[in-house]
Amino acid sequence: MPATLTSKRYKVDDAAGAIDLCFEKGWTDGLPVVPPTEPAVRAMLDAARLAPDAQIAYIRDRAMAVTAEKVAINAVMAGCKPEYMPVVVAAVEGIGDPRWGYHGPGTSTGGAAVLLIVNGSITRELDVNAGDNLFGPGWRANLTIGRALRLVMRNVCGSMPGLLDRGTVGHPGKLSYVIAENEAESPWTPLSVERGFRPEQSTVTVMAAEGPHQFYNQLSSTAEGILTTLADNMRVSGNVMGQPHYALVLAGEHMRTIAADGWDKKRIRQFVWENTQNSHAHLKRTNRMTGTIEPGDEQKMRPLVASPDDILVVAAGGRAGAFSCFIPGWSSAKSSAAITVEVRRGSPVEGRR
Amino acid sequence: MSMEILEPTTAAATQVIAYVPRPAALAGKRVALIENTKFNSDKLLGRIGDILKTEYGIADWKMYRKHNASVPAHQEIIEAIKTSADVVVAGIGD
Repeated sequence: MPATLTSKRYKVDDAAGAIDLCFEKGWTDGLPVVPPTEPAVRAMLDAARLAPDAQIAYIRDRAMAVTAEKVAINAVMAGCKPEYMPVVVAAVEGIGDPRWGYHGPGTSTGGAAVLLIVNGSITRELDVNAGDNLFGPGWRANLTIGRALRLVMRNVCGSMPGLLDRGTVGHPGKLSYVIAENEAESPWTPLSVERGFRPEQSTVTVMAAEGPHQFYNQLSSTAEGILTTLADNMRVSGNVMGQPHYALVLAGEHMRTIAADGWDKKRIRQFVWENTQNSHAHLKRTNRMTGTIEPGDEQKMRPLVASPDDILVVAAGGRAGAFSCFIPGWSSAKSSAAITVEVRRGSPVEGRR
Repeated sequence: MSMEILEPTTAAATQVIAYVPRPAALAGKRVALIENTKFNSDKLLGRIGDILKTEYGIADWKMYRKHNASVPAHQEIIEAIKTSADVVVAGIGD
């Protein structure tokens, strides 16, 4: 006998009526949702082999448990296929990790979204885009998985814009912000393996993040050349002072040029960390650091990122085009750490780094 | 064709918080100030503390600094305040 679903039920005339009701109740992200009927919700739970009352996350500062039933309802609404549910569950586990610090990115005037990076064979099984138009439209898995996570944040955790979510300007990633790493074509160690997982494990990495900043270099044929441009664009970005995580998303042409020069992700991180430092004088002149300019301030440097290890390097994006991007994180890496979670079927146990 | 849909929201669990009764006067009271690390929060709270001293006759004030702006005051602050303060002024927001 399957476990009872305990959520309140609403009778509607038809699908159009269900869509309207969800709008009226304030349950949507501004777009129409798929009506969350019991059969659809059960299909989600079955695909992830989860009981409805399984606790996926506990958001400490909201004193709130996120159950599998509620994740499933929001995943249906987002337009997910049942087979996407384990990825959505892993993402919710990630943002529930105390080290991710939900109450920061979930409420901040800084307007961070949740960048979700998927690794492993699940990306091919579910067709999670790692190529052209990486952050753009067109892929059901990317758009609906990210949307499901945001609907959980809104409907379950309470991060409603203007109420708990006080993002001053926010950005479109707060609708959905999901990419896969292009492991098939990448010459480098996958992000998941760098973060302690085995190559055969599929994972989701969640990082509180601003929007992607594209940079252009069509002149260089060396790793240093391309990354010099990247560092120049990146050095003054985000809030400059906070020292958050950064994600570097290196697309096809740049990826191939950098790898052909023999640079691995570690060398990329080190170079970018070294070349994104700002002098105290500059920071004071541009009203980011308090105080008057003192002797020695032109030489005293503040790194944009506290440690090279705080930079997540991901190979993804289209094959053609001399564009890649960097993504500033939120606040500081101490206030919100990027978290990697294994994608599993069944109850959450371990599998989080 | 009629259908039934399930509610996607979770109501926050109701918690009963028992507040200590507000003191009738501030004279002689020990005040804890909790700053949230945002720029100027310590200066603003410090000025509030000084006003409470000069105009309301509090015994004294002591400043505590959270780990960051997004987390509650950490346990060491709570434990210290329990035994050493009568009134708390906390800074939140930007």
